[in-house]
Amino acid sequence: MKKSIYLSLIALLALPPFAGKSHAGDTPETLLIRQSLANDISGYRRSNTELALKTYGQHFVTYQAHANGDPRAWTVLHENRDALADQMASDLETWRYEVTRTVPSITVRANHAIATSIDSGQVIDRQSDVATPVDLRRLWIFLKSENTWLATAMVTDLGDSLLPATSTASKGEITEFLQRESKSWEEGSASNILELFDEHFTGYYTQDTFQPSTWKIAFNGTEEMEKWLENRLPFVRYALERQVLHSAIGPSGNEALAVTRETVAVTHVNGPAKHQKERYVFWTMSRRSGSWKITNMLYDLGLAD
Amino acid sequence: MTAKSLACLLLCGFSACSTTEEQVVNHLEQLAANPIDSPRWQQAVDELSAIGRPAARQLIARLNPDLYQGKDYREFREEKEKLRTGCARTLGHIKPRGATGALNGCIGTDYTNNERIAALWSLGQVGYTQAGLDAVKGQLTDPDPIIRIHAAIALVKMDVDSGNEEIKAAFAPDDLDIGESSDRIQIALQGLEEAGYYGVPLLIDLSEITSPHQAELRTISGRVKDQLVEQLNAEEPDHRQRAATALGQLDDQSTTPALVNLLADPSNQVRFSAAAALARMGVDQGIDFLFEALRNTDSILRANAVKFLTTVQEQSGSVETQLGAALDAEDPLARAGAARVLGQARVLSAANALLEATTDEIADVRVNAAIALGYIGAEESRSQLEGLREDRDATVSYYAEWALSQLGPR
Repeated sequence: MKKSIYLSLIALLALPPFAGKSHAGDTPETLLIRQSLANDISGYRRSNTELALKTYGQHFVTYQAHANGDPRAWTVLHENRDALADQMASDLETWRYEVTRTVPSITVRANHAIATSIDSGQVIDRQSDVATPVDLRRLWIFLKSENTWLATAMVTDLGDSLLPATSTASKGEITEFLQRESKSWEEGSASNILELFDEHFTGYYTQDTFQPSTWKIAFNGTEEMEKWLENRLPFVRYALERQVLHSAIGPSGNEALAVTRETVAVTHVNGPAKHQKERYVFWTMSRRSGSWKITNMLYDLGLAD
Repeated sequence: MTAKSLACLLLCGFSACSTTEEQVVNHLEQLAANPIDSPRWQQAVDELSAIGRPAARQLIARLNPDLYQGKDYREFREEKEKLRTGCARTLGHIKPRGATGALNGCIGTDYTNNERIAALWSLGQVGYTQAGLDAVKGQLTDPDPIIRIHAAIALVKMDVDSGNEEIKAAFAPDDLDIGESSDRIQIALQGLEEAGYYGVPLLIDLSEITSPHQAELRTISGRVKDQLVEQLNAEEPDHRQRAATALGQLDDQSTTPALVNLLADPSNQVRFSAAAALARMGVDQGIDFLFEALRNTDSILRANAVKFLTTVQEQSGSVETQLGAALDAEDPLARAGAARVLGQARVLSAANALLEATTDEIADVRVNAAIALGYIGAEESRSQLEGLREDRDATVSYYAEWALSQLGPR
């Protein structure tokens, strides 16, 4: 821990003067995340892919939000860093970026973080010199690895309101996978639950809103979730009724997202209380390791029916 | 074989024992699993309270909304409410000062009424801290009258009277017996009983207003009285002292023997408080104790006698005759002390006797008489005081000058 603090401080001292502007309430970790986001936008402005790509982890995934805050409209855009790099190279060849970035919110818990950004300005067609205005909201998911914050996912073109969505609920493998996850809770088996999650997954909760600035991180990976399940499962029995409302799989079939609506209830071993609620859950999944694993999970998403 | 059996027994014994932390976890799960105020929920509160301070850290942590992440995550708001309410209630029994900050955090409108009320109750039980007082005072303007009355009671328990008007309003004739108002009265009555000696002055005030709840107030006063008589045997001198003072305010003659017993208490302050309580009730043993102390050669005892006699005289007027008589006592210490008490208690009717005392042969008596006349501010003492400016004793003339300054220009 101490070593990690020293390294963070060294990294901070090494920040160039043009690093992301600091804000009241910033911590060493949020400053490092701002710097990472500043690298990305600087890379675009300077047409420097190497600099921009420093922000992204190897298993990076981009989700396309289609200007909608409702994830029932979202799809998978890039399934890894290489796909992003290809897109970036093509974009930088076509456009000159005169864009600035603000970072309104960053939430950090241990080595997981989420941030939102707003890019504004314009992109200019290198051939025609035609300028196109830019006003782009993004949600970033970061994981700190070997003392470096790297983006593991990004939701681009995020909407700040809920627009209509054409849900595409598949009956296929995603639905089957999520129903299996649901069943594992009812079986009360921690190992069956945990085997469906990526080791470094992030679990979030919110209070029935959809704005990412309100999201809080509940779980930093399976190790922490396992500790929770050890505390939880001996005292409660779960009942889950899950309906998959929307799912989307990436072009290569390795990354996916889904939205479920479910009734979750617990009965307690130590008394008669039964707690129950309906909730929307947003999921992202990956099968880069061979089988599908949950990489992000957001409980209590606030969506209108 | 025997050694093996013994080892087995020991092992079984150890495995059957759970750590305090595990016990706390089990009780917390019982809180989460049962409706608030149900017998099993209450049992968990009682058992956590019995664990006491070793449980406090885990209970305080449960008040913090940021705790419910990671290994402590809970999906359901109702579960958190049951836990937070139970933890706050338990902390009120354990009374750790360190809980104030976390309890303060739970009294705002982000929390349910169950949580807010439990936290307010608990803050009252923990007692006065500046942070707690500031936070609770803020709730006196809450739109919910139930929250306001709980805040007011918490303030009484902190020995602060800022919420007294809220409590009096609950008993006012236009705020009676309609649903919520009736609840407010029950909350106030229960709170005043729990407040013990801190609630006595307010109980006395309430007994003087016209209210159909006078019978209930008398019942509560009776219970508080019994509680206070028991507290006269408390280990902490502070409790004995406060209990004695409150019994004097309640003025119940049945408590006389218990208070008389306290006249032999090892603590000075307790003895004097008991004597003052008895004197206030007009019991000779108390009055004699204080006047005897007024004549004592120990200046600390005399100072205590002056302090307590002044309070008794101010609050009940029950020693005025004895003070007048003491001005004529043979012992100059008694004359000087009586003059001081009459002045500090501003007994206007004693002005003439004090004027007489300014001619006393003992300088200390003249000094105290001059000071007393200054406090009383009686115009008729002016010429006598002017004469005293030339007194043979420099201290007397100094205080005569001071007393004249209190009378103002002619």
